[in-house]
Amino acid sequence: MSTALGPLEIPGLDNASTLQEIVWAHIRQRFDRMNSSTSTAIPPHHHGFEKRVADVKAPKSDINALILDYLTMEGYPKAAAKFCKEANLQPQQLDSSIQARQSIMHSIHSGDIETAISALNELDPELLDTNPELHFALLRLQLVELIRQCHGRDPTPAVEFATKNLGPRAAAHREFLPDLEQTMALIIFPHDKLRPELAALLSSDLRRNTAAKVNEAVLVRQNQRREAAIRQLVRMRAWAETSARSDKLDLPETLDFGLHAEGAESRHDGGHEPMITT
Amino acid sequence: MARLPSPPCLAQIQAAGTCSEQAVALRALRDEIIGHVQRKEEYVQHGILDVLVEILQSSTRSPKRSSGKEPSHAGQRPVLAEDEVVRLLALQLLAGFANGGSAFLAPLQAADVIPAILPATSPNDNPPQVVLAALRLLSSMTASARVAQDAEKTTSHLADVLFSARSLEALRAILSQDSPDLGIQEQKRLVTGLITRLCKTTKDQNALAESGVLDALATLLASFAVARGEVIPGAEALGRADGLVDFIPRPAPPGADLASVLGALSSIIVHSRYRSYLLLQSPSILAVFPWAEFTPPAPETRAAWIALEMHGLRPIRPRGPGAVDFLLPAIPLPPPKPRPGEFPPLVTSPSREALAANSSLSSFRFTGVEQSRGEADDEEDSEEPESPLIPWLIHLIRTTDDLERVMAASLLASLFKAGFTSPDRDQYLALLVVPVLCRLLSENDKEVPAPVQRAATVDPETALRWTIMEQAPEVLARFVGENGTLQKAAAECGVIKLAAKLLKDSYAPHPVQLPPKLWSANPERSNGEIKELPASRQLGLPGRVPAYSHKIQMRESALKLVAAMATLNHAYRDALVEADVAAYVVESLAPCPGRPKSSKDTPATEKGAGADKDQPPYGLNPTSVIIAACHATRTLARGPSIVRTTLQDHGFAMPVYQLLKHPDPDVQVAASSAVINLVSNVSPMAKTLVDAGIIQTLCEHAHSLNPGLRLNALWALKHLVADLDNHHRKKCLEELEPGWLVQLISDDRLEEEARARARAERRCTDADEDEDMESEGAYDGDNDWQRDWTWPGLGIAGPGGVVSPRLQLASAKLATLRDAEVNPARRARNDSLAIQEQGLGFIRNFLLLPSHGQPPSPSELHDMVDYLFTEIGQDRLFAILADKLKVRVVNAFGRRSTASGSARGRDANNGNASSTTLVLYPQARIVESLTYILVHIAASVPRHRQLVVAQTDLLKLLGAHLGSKDPGVRRALCQLFTNLTWVEDNGDTQPCAQRASELKRLGFLAKLEGMEQGDADLGVRERARAAIDQMKKPMLKDAQW
Repeated sequence: MSTALGPLEIPGLDNASTLQEIVWAHIRQRFDRMNSSTSTAIPPHHHGFEKRVADVKAPKSDINALILDYLTMEGYPKAAAKFCKEANLQPQQLDSSIQARQSIMHSIHSGDIETAISALNELDPELLDTNPELHFALLRLQLVELIRQCHGRDPTPAVEFATKNLGPRAAAHREFLPDLEQTMALIIFPHDKLRPELAALLSSDLRRNTAAKVNEAVLVRQNQRREAAIRQLVRMRAWAETSARSDKLDLPETLDFGLHAEGAESRHDGGHEPMITT
Repeated sequence: MARLPSPPCLAQIQAAGTCSEQAVALRALRDEIIGHVQRKEEYVQHGILDVLVEILQSSTRSPKRSSGKEPSHAGQRPVLAEDEVVRLLALQLLAGFANGGSAFLAPLQAADVIPAILPATSPNDNPPQVVLAALRLLSSMTASARVAQDAEKTTSHLADVLFSARSLEALRAILSQDSPDLGIQEQKRLVTGLITRLCKTTKDQNALAESGVLDALATLLASFAVARGEVIPGAEALGRADGLVDFIPRPAPPGADLASVLGALSSIIVHSRYRSYLLLQSPSILAVFPWAEFTPPAPETRAAWIALEMHGLRPIRPRGPGAVDFLLPAIPLPPPKPRPGEFPPLVTSPSREALAANSSLSSFRFTGVEQSRGEADDEEDSEEPESPLIPWLIHLIRTTDDLERVMAASLLASLFKAGFTSPDRDQYLALLVVPVLCRLLSENDKEVPAPVQRAATVDPETALRWTIMEQAPEVLARFVGENGTLQKAAAECGVIKLAAKLLKDSYAPHPVQLPPKLWSANPERSNGEIKELPASRQLGLPGRVPAYSHKIQMRESALKLVAAMATLNHAYRDALVEADVAAYVVESLAPCPGRPKSSKDTPATEKGAGADKDQPPYGLNPTSVIIAACHATRTLARGPSIVRTTLQDHGFAMPVYQLLKHPDPDVQVAASSAVINLVSNVSPMAKTLVDAGIIQTLCEHAHSLNPGLRLNALWALKHLVADLDNHHRKKCLEELEPGWLVQLISDDRLEEEARARARAERRCTDADEDEDMESEGAYDGDNDWQRDWTWPGLGIAGPGGVVSPRLQLASAKLATLRDAEVNPARRARNDSLAIQEQGLGFIRNFLLLPSHGQPPSPSELHDMVDYLFTEIGQDRLFAILADKLKVRVVNAFGRRSTASGSARGRDANNGNASSTTLVLYPQARIVESLTYILVHIAASVPRHRQLVVAQTDLLKLLGAHLGSKDPGVRRALCQLFTNLTWVEDNGDTQPCAQRASELKRLGFLAKLEGMEQGDADLGVRERARAAIDQMKKPMLKDAQW
């Protein structure tokens, strides 16, 4: 597990290339986790495949659209707006809707689930009604936060909350039951000596995962894709590499993403052009 | 906290002085209830719904401001005024309650929610957010209604309100908004979804078609063609000539939903030629898809076509392919079929039993309509090319995915069934569409995991898959019903096995039908003190789990597919029976089905696990399933061997008989149509049914006001009477009442009276249900055709201000189609003709002596003929028969007074033959039945033969039909002359000679001689020869001299 990524901070820079550099670095950091096998630097060995790669030139406009898509979908309204202005693109979504999504995510990240639920209802009142799994996930997170707050003190508020909000659901949906039981165990055990699966509930990963689920659900409800296009591209690339290798096609031993800031020379060698200037 | 007797939120809402205070309270309530069913229940019991409705109504009354209504494209949504925020919140809260499930539908309806929200749907008076919230609420209610225990009633109630004249205008306005805004797109998606789910009756379909909603939807469809870059090349130039160029819409924005537009269009035009043509002639469709021959710039594109034509694999057509045709692969076509007149048909046409296997409500089709339709088709093909919309839809099916495919196919099926596809298309559909649908079905046919079977909600992917599974068999059924080419294609794709499997799966016992009750920390509260509450505070019955509704829906779809596959080919029927379909069909006939007993089954091992009253293991069959099962029974019963074995073994007789007494008239019509084939003379079931008293039931139905029921009942009686002994026959006629039979066959005035009566009755009930609508002069299915309706297409002028010829042509054709479908006088006449045919058939079979047992003796027949004469009256019978043979002129648009009596007997050339008069020639089937009645009378004793010959007028009229196009009529007439000149015994020689000379005097001998030489039909020639031989018999000559 890597460290949590905070919201992307974009300082008020006017220089377009600086902005893109920052965005790019952020994306690199993200996808590093998704594809750790390719993190080694490539030896300066020229392969036929790499030559072909070098011949492919992705149009700048496509790359720019991809970046904007990432910023919009992941919920970075200010960065998206700035990027639009500098790359001369049409915004994908209304600023307000990205902002609403971002503030919901922010509330979840910071553990204020009540505000998040309220904001979700404001944004799309049908979402939680039609998606009981998501509602349960949010309520459970709220329970975790409650337990965290009253740790070492009287646990009654947490128990009451669970009885009122989570109990009825878990009784009707068997699949919710283990999650609830696990969470309730947190009330009993001291938090410093927890088994790993219980400790995971208290780590920030739970907040982050729930926030991601919420983001996905909101996007799907808006009849859009559930995730940024670049995530799919990365997965497709991984699939292509795996199937090519299993078919014993002629490939270099390691294929770099071309996303590594530290491998500055590989960027130039590989012919990738992550620095897109407009 | 919230479990206090009167929850604090409620009090806050009621106490709020200003809008902003109220908004705060409403927001708090929203956060409290959303996602929490138990709290919703509690608030409903505290009367929250009335409070919310009141908020909506009071804010609706406030004057409307026009500021801030325009959704700005720049990105910032307009800020809502405070009172509008309150309305928005109230709507959202109501939607929250509607999402709670079917149990909330009853209190929502009791609180009069729908009338309160309809004003909020109009986009001209409301900001887009409010419209969206109102539509979401309607959509939630529809979704809850779908799984409700009384789904059919609730759904039709919603449809009635939503498709009233006032809200139709709002729907049209919503669909016509031109904005890429996501909220607007969702509005459109919700409206199309509502239409798809709710538009089921002809009345609603016509209302939607004529209120401009159909055109708005057509424009949306055209915008997808524009977005895909598939507008016909040159459409702009052509459009300029017609003045249609402005109707080419802007491309559809990225978020738009093609599948729902296709689905809504399909649900409007289905089962109607008129509405289908209205779609094809919708201005945007005409503008985007004008017909034009196309030569692709690259010659190799055409190469495949030319190659096929060169090798005779594709007939060369006078018209070249259009542009869209080149998007489809070139496929070989069978050589054109010879015209029916050129060679004698090898098999008898089954069209007599023609039946739209899937016609939604009544199954009866009128043979008369069918015929005239066939002729009309021929004319059309020569004058009007097929719309490029058709190949474009095929192209869509090939290039889209999932639901879009199914919906495009559904729309295409409607157009195909309405006869707007060119004859070549059958092959295209067989090769390019049917396999796609079959694959969709087998790909999506997955087992439902146990948790999903119990869940109260399903995830979107499963829901999508289920929708595809429910729709695809129905679409496929519409394609293959009564079409041999497509049936063959479907059978080769394994549809028979698939249909049987789907049907079987739908009878897998369902563990849970109701969603689980939520656990509550203080259960004692749940059942207390709620008895005395008003209806808007009482929860209704809980809904079913979606998996159960899906299963029942699958049952209906699978039955439709089975019925469609059994329509024509005997081999397919046998294959279906082989796949053990019958056991499931017979269970589907019962409202509460039991365990299907497979023929290979060992006696039941598991004994009705959990067979409690509330949750029967195989569910309950709603009327839609029962009707589908009746159709399946009817088509399966077209195979005589199946009737004798399988259907008999599975005991179809009694369940169908029970359904004849079902309270729903639609079920009665469907059941009586199934009975028709079950009581034919090959059926062993006839005896069982007669013993059960089916004669009385059918005779009762023959007196019904419902023309469909009357027709089917008479038809069934016609089959039944042929197999009875004389005693029972007389009883049957008695039961039917001879006077009534005479009325049925004699005139169509009566029909109209009956209709008027029915209409009056309906109006009464309508008024009871919804007085408001009626007084607004809104829609009444039978009256609306007189409403001044002009096709908006006529308002489109070309460059010179002249309406282009193609629009004029289309308008004329629309008027004809509309008249045929919507004009009640026309429909009544068609009904009446069909009933007359069956009535005459009944008399014919009444006189037909059973062929089994002893050879027919004239004395028995003599008895029956005399009985008939005394019951009906000899002169009256002959007068009626003569009347049937006359050419009649009626005023096609006339009202009741002119349509019948006064116009009758007028000469065709006489009178002002304006364009509105209609000449009705006697129908071949009626002439045939009538002739056979005379044949049977003439087969009796000489006295009866003498009687027939004495009817000189009748014989003269009949003589005119010797030149009939229909070989059956000619055969019957030859038979009549043979019978008339039959010599019974020595005493009959002299009279017989007289008869022969009378016939000669009328000129029949010469005509018969001509027929013997030159008739195309072998049977006619043979019978003509027999008749001539008889007339020229030497002893007759001797007697004559």
